[in-house]
Amino acid sequence: MGKSLWLWRIGFLAVPLSVYTVVVVAPLLYSFYYSLTDWNGFSPNYNFVGLDNFQRIFRDPLFSNAIENTVIWMIAAIIIPTGGGLFLALMLHEGVRLANLYKSLFYFPISLSLAVIGQVWIWIYQPRWGLLNVVLREVGLGQYARAWLAKADSALPAVIAAWSWQQIGLAMVIFLAGLTAVPTELTEAAQIDGANRRQSLRYVVIPMLRPASIVVIALAVINSLKSFDVVYVMTKGGPFHSSDTLAMFMYNECFQKYYMGYGSASAVVLFLIALVVVAFYFVWQMRAMETIYE
Amino acid sequence: MNDAYRLTSDAATQQKVVPLQQRVVRLTLYALLTALVLIYSIPAFGVIITSFKSNGEIARHGLWSAPQQIRFDNYREAWYDGNVKTYTINSFKVTVPATIISILFGVLTGYVLSKLPFRGSQALFIFIVAGMFYPPQIVLIPLFRLFNEIKLYDTLYPMIIVHSAFGLSICTLLMRNFFATVPNALREAAIIDGANELQILLKVMLPLSLPALAVLATLQFTWIWNDFLWPLVFTQSDTKRTIMVGIITMRGQYSVAWGVQGAMSVIASLPTLFIFVFFQRYFIRGLTLGSVKG
Repeated sequence: MGKSLWLWRIGFLAVPLSVYTVVVVAPLLYSFYYSLTDWNGFSPNYNFVGLDNFQRIFRDPLFSNAIENTVIWMIAAIIIPTGGGLFLALMLHEGVRLANLYKSLFYFPISLSLAVIGQVWIWIYQPRWGLLNVVLREVGLGQYARAWLAKADSALPAVIAAWSWQQIGLAMVIFLAGLTAVPTELTEAAQIDGANRRQSLRYVVIPMLRPASIVVIALAVINSLKSFDVVYVMTKGGPFHSSDTLAMFMYNECFQKYYMGYGSASAVVLFLIALVVVAFYFVWQMRAMETIYE
Repeated sequence: MNDAYRLTSDAATQQKVVPLQQRVVRLTLYALLTALVLIYSIPAFGVIITSFKSNGEIARHGLWSAPQQIRFDNYREAWYDGNVKTYTINSFKVTVPATIISILFGVLTGYVLSKLPFRGSQALFIFIVAGMFYPPQIVLIPLFRLFNEIKLYDTLYPMIIVHSAFGLSICTLLMRNFFATVPNALREAAIIDGANELQILLKVMLPLSLPALAVLATLQFTWIWNDFLWPLVFTQSDTKRTIMVGIITMRGQYSVAWGVQGAMSVIASLPTLFIFVFFQRYFIRGLTLGSVKG
């Protein structure tokens, strides 16, 4: 009996786990290995250079620029979708008519690809015909009209705004799920105790949304580490690397300059950052669960 | 969820005298929501109307005016001259098998982890689910090399393989949690009837899992269809491009043909929008399940 169960387990797990190992797990180890070499992507020969790539990368102004932009992206990703999504979710939870229609219109961008979203937002920022400049000129703020994606100080915020258009909807969905999980007895009890709407929101609903907020924030941070498509489509990291993110930096080093070893070093840094974020997330999530269910 | 809304709105109508202040609050809420939805829809709306306009019309009235007549010329040009037909077929050739394989993997792994647990199966589960947090760029270089060496570079297979592997995380998570809700007694009864594990999985578990399979199918189809990074790196020739990379590499040729660009974006988004419109329930359930429990 026990033996045949093992046969079934192995039979069921063999193929999925082999593919997972070959595609996800083993390449991670290879990334670590390549980061210690000067491989150029084509040549079968390469040298083992120790930690040289890491020493160089932390002195590379382009790399620290990419890190800086990724941190800006993360901070924006924490504030904008969390704030916007929470605001929309709270409004839609008020029992409005046509709530489902409103919800659909806010979250349909989740089903669009970031490549298409980038393409669509290029039109908004287009200098002559773009909606943003057209509106600015219409309302008499024409002096602020500019080539949004071609200026070093506005390219990154412009790309983040396009990305947020999708992420706000995602945050809203998660907050709405969190809100339906708040037991109505709790808000009713608060009302019986004489709490007004704002008080019950502040002291009952918002604290109950903590697990949902943690999920939203963690997703925002992880997604900002992954952010590549929308940057590639809208600016390719330009102008003058002003909208480079870590993922974009890595792509350029590997597939434009063919510094595969050096690019792998940046992949390793990316992995370590993701690891720290995930560790924080798990600890935080555990604590939130404890405070709610104790 | 809908019942909750109905209860609150019934309660509101039963109170014959709605206080003025509350009515003002409600009106403001609706006005705000409607304004936000309108602003939120502009980017998508702009692309759709432009895709029906001729170049001359765009030159005269800009991107954001209503089309004078609905013409499908841009769609025809994108589909035939712009190779969008080839890209779309390629995308289906990648997305359909990868969706099916990743779900199949998830079913097998999820079944073992929930119904045939063993020492260390919990750790294995966490190990698999951790893949969800993983920025995929980390393994880009080793995979690029792997596919080069096994001569799969510039074919559609790398995308199928990579998505089947990366999909294992979310598919295992959802299937394991779903199978956990199916009573063990069903499996035991089938064993007494002489069924083996494969028969139990196919004849007892799978018929019960249709909702979970639908959730996964909508999610996986959407992610894989919208993917940009893997086909960008693993394909090179135009005949092997999937739709997202195709329309972005194509846009240089149509840099002034806004209408054709718009039509390309619309065509690229139609399959996932279709899923969103008709299977929204499953899609949203998947998003919240995957994120809240992840």
